[in-house]
Amino acid sequence: MIPQREIFWHISYKGLFYLLAFMSISVFFYGLVRHISVWRAGLRKQKIIFLWGAVKRVFLEGILAGRILRGDLNAGIMHLFIFWGFFLLFLGTLVLAFDHWIFHFLFGTCYLLFSLCLEIAGLILAVGLIWAFVRRYVKKVKRLENKKEDLLLLLWLAIIVVTGFLLEGMRISAQSPSWGIFSFLGFFLRDLFPKHVALDMYPFFWWLHALLSLSFVAAIPFTKMFHVIASPISIYIKDQPAFIIPAEQKQAGQFSYKELIQIDACTKCGRCVEMCPSTSVGEPFAPRDVISALRNQIYFRKDINLPSKLIWYCTTCGACLEVCPVYVPPFEIIRELRSKQIEDGTEVPALMIQTLERLYKYNNPWVSTKKKRADWAKGLDIVDITKQDEKELLCYFVGCTTSYDIRAQEIAKSFSKILKYCDVKFGIFGKKEPCCGDIARRVGEDGLFEEQADLCLDLFQEYGIKEVVVSSPHCLYTMKNEYPCLREEIQNISFFHYSQILEKLIKEKNLVFKKLNMRVTYHDPCYLGRHNKIFDAPRNVIKAIPGVKLVEMEHFRENSLCCGGGGGRMWQEELDIEVRMSERRIMEACDTGAEVLITCCPLCLIMLEDARKSKELENTIKVMDLNEFVLMALKT
Amino acid sequence: MDIILCIKQVPDVTEADLKIDREEKSIIRDDLEMVINEWDNYAVEEAVRLKEKHGGKITVITLGDEESEDVLRRALAMGADQAIRIDEEGFENSDPRGIALGLYHIIKELDFDLILTGAQSSDIGWGQVGVRLAEMLNIPYATLAMGIEVVDGKIIVKRELESNTFEKVELDLPALVTVQTGINEPRYVSIMGIRRVRKLKIEEKDIDELGISEDEVGEKGSIIESIRLMFPPEGEGAEILQGSLDEICEKLAQIIREKGGLY
Ligand code: SF4
Ligand code: SF4
Repeated sequence: MIPQREIFWHISYKGLFYLLAFMSISVFFYGLVRHISVWRAGLRKQKIIFLWGAVKRVFLEGILAGRILRGDLNAGIMHLFIFWGFFLLFLGTLVLAFDHWIFHFLFGTCYLLFSLCLEIAGLILAVGLIWAFVRRYVKKVKRLENKKEDLLLLLWLAIIVVTGFLLEGMRISAQSPSWGIFSFLGFFLRDLFPKHVALDMYPFFWWLHALLSLSFVAAIPFTKMFHVIASPISIYIKDQPAFIIPAEQKQAGQFSYKELIQIDACTKCGRCVEMCPSTSVGEPFAPRDVISALRNQIYFRKDINLPSKLIWYCTTCGACLEVCPVYVPPFEIIRELRSKQIEDGTEVPALMIQTLERLYKYNNPWVSTKKKRADWAKGLDIVDITKQDEKELLCYFVGCTTSYDIRAQEIAKSFSKILKYCDVKFGIFGKKEPCCGDIARRVGEDGLFEEQADLCLDLFQEYGIKEVVVSSPHCLYTMKNEYPCLREEIQNISFFHYSQILEKLIKEKNLVFKKLNMRVTYHDPCYLGRHNKIFDAPRNVIKAIPGVKLVEMEHFRENSLCCGGGGGRMWQEELDIEVRMSERRIMEACDTGAEVLITCCPLCLIMLEDARKSKELENTIKVMDLNEFVLMALKT
Repeated sequence: MDIILCIKQVPDVTEADLKIDREEKSIIRDDLEMVINEWDNYAVEEAVRLKEKHGGKITVITLGDEESEDVLRRALAMGADQAIRIDEEGFENSDPRGIALGLYHIIKELDFDLILTGAQSSDIGWGQVGVRLAEMLNIPYATLAMGIEVVDGKIIVKRELESNTFEKVELDLPALVTVQTGINEPRYVSIMGIRRVRKLKIEEKDIDELGISEDEVGEKGSIIESIRLMFPPEGEGAEILQGSLDEICEKLAQIIREKGGLY
């Protein structure tokens, strides 16, 4: 006899099966269409462009699951097992259908191979599922939230797999085919069922297996399983060109298609929760909870009761995106939620209201005057670009915090001194310098962001600026990534952070430093590192100084810990918290035994300096800006 | 419940270096940004909340130059329905009675249940316009409101008294209430909110249209004469702290502690 399998062996009411299959697929597509129609609503103003790199990424990170493996090997392998088991079995079913309806080829060796493959797939899936159970309910991995849905889906799949193997056992027992060993698990199970029992029970289990499988497919769009569809898409759209819908043309809180897909793709894996600096110092906020609540609201019309205060915890540090397997940026989504609150106006934190009003009137979030903006420059003889004719100057955009905060002013002073020392021709906008708009953008005040950005862009254009160097990585981020969305003409302006200029100067001017015998550590500001991908420039600058030993903290580079000052947190009342993020960071710096903690951002500088004082570490460690450090090494 | 709001624009002096003009009558305003009077901001919020609860419409009135339309727009963005500006010409240097008179001539033609004003203004601070207006209109009034409740066609006003005590008074409508800061948390007005009301028409009235003669208001019509504006003389007890920033802060904290400023 030729090895092969009779479809619908020992089963009556085939028609019923086809009816059920049709229903299941209809429900699946109905669900799918519902998701897609939500995405499309967000798509009106943007186009998705084709990118080869993105296709490659979907393959490598989605299908081969490379990104999950890199982040958490244990979870990655588990996922790989479940995914491939599931995927192969699904393919197998398609192949069977093809064989049955279109072209019969599954017989003989071909069938045996097919049968073996499916057997292995089933086994892989089973191992993956057991692994998942263990992770969730035995090892109780902390980042996983255990809701009913999670257990239900696992059990659902598990029963499908078990009934599948049992069915095989019964069939082999009843038919005793000579090739039974190719379905090795079923082969071993056959002894459980004497032939007549097998024949009796087979239809019952067959229908159970069929019903569970079909309903599982139908349930995909209505559960977290939908990530099998949305995740690859989310991975694909990750680097679609940035796009900002002008505030005039949209409703506050309206998500873009990108954000809608990203929300849909969340697998609730909790990696973001593990990394979030707010969650990890014990604040009552977790990015996953916001995303999954939103997903329930948008796609399943469930009411969510997120406390309105919650969205103000996020510092927009970006640590979550760094680890998210499907590239969900909770901070962008939270930004949109904030913009809704800003428009409604009634739930904005009081200090934030003051800050924004000040920003509106005085172009800075700190002091109610524009006049004192350039006070730090008094006596330093710095060119005011708005008061002279020379073109081709390097424009030093000082930024609000660096201009007004006494501690942060040292950044501007020392950087200017270094520029002068190196004979670089540069100038500032003096009193006319506005805010870059970053704070307004991060807290969702889009109208105000556009106003401030326009002021900056007008200045750049009026004075023919070609090169801009900024103090704050926050300015850099918004200018480099968001300004071009507002005005295309500015694409010929290059924006730099001072660490990049310092690196360049050291190379070009062969700066000679005196030897400093010091052990130092470096704090990657979120916006310099993760958001602008500048990790090496500051390190190279530090390493160029002889005698200095740079040691890394536990968290560094992409993994850096937020100081707690970004995303508007600097300008909010202390949210009721126990440990401050900045304190956690300074303790980490102390653990390295470094004498100096160097950083590259005015907000980090202030936050860490404060933490140093509140932790009474004045004699243990110093906090310095990179410029201060370089200047110290230059002085003879 | 139809509400009339009387609000005013004032210079923001929070962190400004103030200068007094040559005549010693007023501060030099050229470099100062104009904002809504703080008390009035609370009054607007209160009016909007009352409207959200009880319905009706809000008419907001100011007396000032063209620039003062900003505060009207802000109030519109917060939820007021229509705005009227009385042009300042002729009203310059009015005393509170003069201002109240201007407002009176408009309001007497309008239907309303309640008038809200700030308890006082941050620039002149007489705290009189509200009560004088109520007297002119011959309606009941309450000052320094820290809460307004509408009950059976009347209002119950919670007034702030000394040392953290409150008084509740009941007023028949129509009435006038002057609002104290802290009665609520005024909402944020976004740039988009303001832009959205940019095109709304603001009604304008001038002194002639109101039928007020120039002698009744302005400097001439004032019953109070301002003699001189001045900074407080440098006190004898002033102590300038010396040292580094940290040392200064340390000393300051010590002084505050010693004088019982910290509990
Ligand atoms: S946002 Fe990303 S990292 Fe966070 S739970 Fe969802 S999928 Fe996981
Ligand atoms: S951006 Fe940072 S603070 Fe915000 S949710 Fe992500 S990890 Fe948390």
